[in-house]
Amino acid sequence: MRDLPVFFKKELLETWRTYRFLILAVVFLVFALMSPLIAKLTPEIMKMSFGKTIGIKIPAPTSVDSWTQFYKNIAQMGIYVVAIMFGGTMSQEMSKGTLVNLVTKGLPRWTVIGAKYLVLLCQWLVVTTGAFLVTWGYTAYYFPDSKSPDVFAAFVPLLIFGVFFLAVILFGSTMARNNYGGLLFTILIMAVLYMINLFKQAQNYNPVSLIGDNMAILQDTKDLAKLAPAITIAVVAALVLVAGSVAVLNKKSLK
Amino acid sequence: MSDILTLEHVQKSFGTKHVLQDLSFSIPRGSIFGFVGENGAGKTTTMRLILGLGKADAGTILVNGDKVRFGETKTNRITGYLPDVPAFYDYMTPAEYLRLCADIAAVPNANEKIDQMLQLVGLKNDKHRIHGFSRGMRQRLGIAQALLNDPQLLICDEPTSALDPAGRAEFLDLLYSLKDKVTVLFSTHILSDVERISDWVGILHDGRVQACDTLANLHASYGHRQVVMTFATTAEAQKCAELFQGTQHEEAVTLTYHGEYAPMMKSTLQKLLAANLTPVSLRKADPTLDQIFMEVIKK
Repeated sequence: MRDLPVFFKKELLETWRTYRFLILAVVFLVFALMSPLIAKLTPEIMKMSFGKTIGIKIPAPTSVDSWTQFYKNIAQMGIYVVAIMFGGTMSQEMSKGTLVNLVTKGLPRWTVIGAKYLVLLCQWLVVTTGAFLVTWGYTAYYFPDSKSPDVFAAFVPLLIFGVFFLAVILFGSTMARNNYGGLLFTILIMAVLYMINLFKQAQNYNPVSLIGDNMAILQDTKDLAKLAPAITIAVVAALVLVAGSVAVLNKKSLK
Repeated sequence: MSDILTLEHVQKSFGTKHVLQDLSFSIPRGSIFGFVGENGAGKTTTMRLILGLGKADAGTILVNGDKVRFGETKTNRITGYLPDVPAFYDYMTPAEYLRLCADIAAVPNANEKIDQMLQLVGLKNDKHRIHGFSRGMRQRLGIAQALLNDPQLLICDEPTSALDPAGRAEFLDLLYSLKDKVTVLFSTHILSDVERISDWVGILHDGRVQACDTLANLHASYGHRQVVMTFATTAEAQKCAELFQGTQHEEAVTLTYHGEYAPMMKSTLQKLLAANLTPVSLRKADPTLDQIFMEVIKK
C-alpha cells in the first residue's frame, strides 16, 4: 500500500510536466466558455447568414440551448480528446520499458494500475467540474430563466460515465502495444454501446445513456433514478475493467 | 563461500525457438561474474528471468535462497538491475528519478543516499531534466538507480556496449570497486571487459552454460599455451612451421605446447639452431578469453 501514493505522485508530476492536464483543462474550458456563447449567438449568426430569406421565426435562446451545447460538446468531442490524451497511459510505459527499473526495485504491478486510474479520475473530476461550473455561471448570466431546473442532477451521470470510460481507456491501453491499439479498443467499445442503445429497452441499462440523457434530467422530464441500472452497470464494469487491467499487466513480460 | 544466485534446469522458449535449454549455474557471493555469449545467446532472457520480469517454462531460480516467481518482487528487494538501454521518465531530473526509486525501495536516509549516488556516478544534482541526457549520462544514472538500495546482487546487462573507451574504463573501475561488497553479474560480448574485472566466468552457448568456473580454472582447462616466433622472411617462417607443425601467418609462426615452458623452449631452440633458423623475435603468448570462448563453443 506504501507504493500507491509514491506512484500516484509520479503520475501527477507526469500529467503536469507533459502538459496533458493543461491541454485537457484548456479544451474543457473552451467547451465551457463556448457553450453559452454559441447558444446566445446562434440566432444572430443565422440572421446574419440568411437575412430575411429564412421563413421561420427563430426562437429566443434559453439556458436549455446552452446546456445542450455543453453536453453535446463533452459527449461528441470531450471524451474522445480524453481517449486520445490517455490512450497511451499504460502502453507507453510498457513499450518504453520505464516500468522495468521500478518493478525491479520492488514496485507491485497493481499499484501502477491503481495509481494511474486514480490520477485519471482526479483529472476527469477537475476538468469536468471546472467546465460545468464555468458553463453554469455563464448560462445563469446570459439566460436567467427557470427552464433548466435540475442542473446538478444532470451533471452526476456525466461524472459517473467518466468512471467507466477511464477504466475502458486504461484496460485498452494495458492490453495494447501502442497508443493506437488502446484508442481503437475505446472507440470499439463506444461503437458497441451506441449500437446497444438503439434498443429502447436497453437504454436505462447502458452506460452510454449517462452522456445521452443529461438534457432530459436537466429539464426534469426524466428522473435520475431511472438511470440507476446504467449507473450501477457503469461502476461495476469500471471495477471489473480495472481488475482486468491488473490481471493483464500481471501476465505481461516487461521489457 | 555460499551462492547468492542459483539456476537449476531453467528452460525458456519463444514460439518454436528454444532460447534456454536446461540452463544451470551458480554465482558465489561476493564475486564478479562475467556472463558471456554470442548475440542472441539468451543472456538478457536469463537476466529477465532472474528478475522475475519474464516467466521460465521450467526450472528453478533462487536468489539468496528465495525462489524467484514471475511478477513477484520479493527477491528484487535485494537486487539492483541495470538494463542494456535504461529507460527513465524524461520529464524528471536525475534527483527526482532517484527519489522515486528510493521511495519504492524504502531506502533509509534517501536524500543523503541520492546525493552520494549522484556524486559516485558524476552527475549533478541540479534542475536539468533527463530529457537532454546523452547515452553515457543515462548509463551513469542507470548505475546510480541500480546501486541506490545497496543491493546484494547487481545485475548489469551489456553495461559497457554504449560507452566510449574512457567511459568503459571508468564504468569497469566502478564495478571492480564493488568487489566483495556486492555480487555482480554482468553480461557482455566484449570479452576483454570480462578478463579485466571478473573472477568468475560463465559461457552461454546453445541455450546452456557450457563452461562456468573461475577465470584461472578456465585458462587451465581450455587455454592453450603458445609461443609466437617472428622470422625475417616468409620462407624461414614456412620452414619453421613445417618443422614444428605450427601455424604460420606471413612471417609469424605460432606454436602450441603442453607442459613446462623452460624444457619446451630449450628443445625448440636446439631444433631451430640445427635447422639454421634464427627468429627475429620470440614471445610467450598467454591464452585470451576470446580463444577460450572459441574453444568452449567449438566443443
